[in-house]
Amino acid sequence: MKRYWCALGVAVMAMLAVAMLGAWPNSLAAGAPQAAGAAAEVKIDNFSFGPADLKIAAGTTVTWVNHDDIPHTVVSTDEPKLFKSKVLDTDEKFSFTFSKAGTYAYFCSIHPKMTGKVIVQ
Amino acid sequence: MHPFDLKTVIFAKHAQHVVLIHFPIALFLAGVLFDFLAQWTKRQALAAAAYYNFAVAAIAAAPVVATGLLAWQWQLEGQRLKGILLQHLVLGCTSAVLIWVVWWIHFRVQRRQATLLLPAYRLPLEALGVAVVMLTGHLGGFLSGVNAPG
Repeated sequence: MKRYWCALGVAVMAMLAVAMLGAWPNSLAAGAPQAAGAAAEVKIDNFSFGPADLKIAAGTTVTWVNHDDIPHTVVSTDEPKLFKSKVLDTDEKFSFTFSKAGTYAYFCSIHPKMTGKVIVQ
Repeated sequence: MHPFDLKTVIFAKHAQHVVLIHFPIALFLAGVLFDFLAQWTKRQALAAAAYYNFAVAAIAAAPVVATGLLAWQWQLEGQRLKGILLQHLVLGCTSAVLIWVVWWIHFRVQRRQATLLLPAYRLPLEALGVAVVMLTGHLGGFLSGVNAPG
């Protein structure tokens, strides 16, 4: 009987651990800034950046991945340009580390209607 | 950006390449249609219409090539192209050369005022031109985002 309760306890603990792990990415997606030194990803798909507005902590490296069949670029709106990618073909990536707090707007220079923002806290 | 700065007409928000491209495409396709009709009906007026369409298409192709190449140099800083962009560049240049060659064939004969003596090989060349122009336009449409939502 004691063994039964031990096994049940372990199973419950394991289920709780899995549930917590599952909830972790959801809390990030909800907009909480990520820890410094962390990484974040912006997907380029169907002529849009996703998420269009990304909140991160200072020191986070953001990677843009082009999932579109069409080439795109990632270019900072600020002058002088803080970051500027080469032309990204399908599945190509571009990364930039944001070290200072602020709001950084960017766009695709081939399709200027495609815009996004990185909010560094 | 200043509205009269040359780069304004090149950069994507105001790019004229995507506007100007419609002129040589339409004129060349119309010219080929007139030339095939002229060949079939042996009517001088249709051959003349074909010649003038090719002439204006050849003129209109020049700013299209220029704005396309400048967009590559300024917007993308002349970086090495690949994929659809490279295919569009190569096919676009090929299209322009074919348009100019077709015009030149017609121009040589027109200068001698003997439009019915046009060489027969021009017709498959014009058909090839139509195919390459349409393929270039198809890729250009993809690049410009005509399939984009909204």
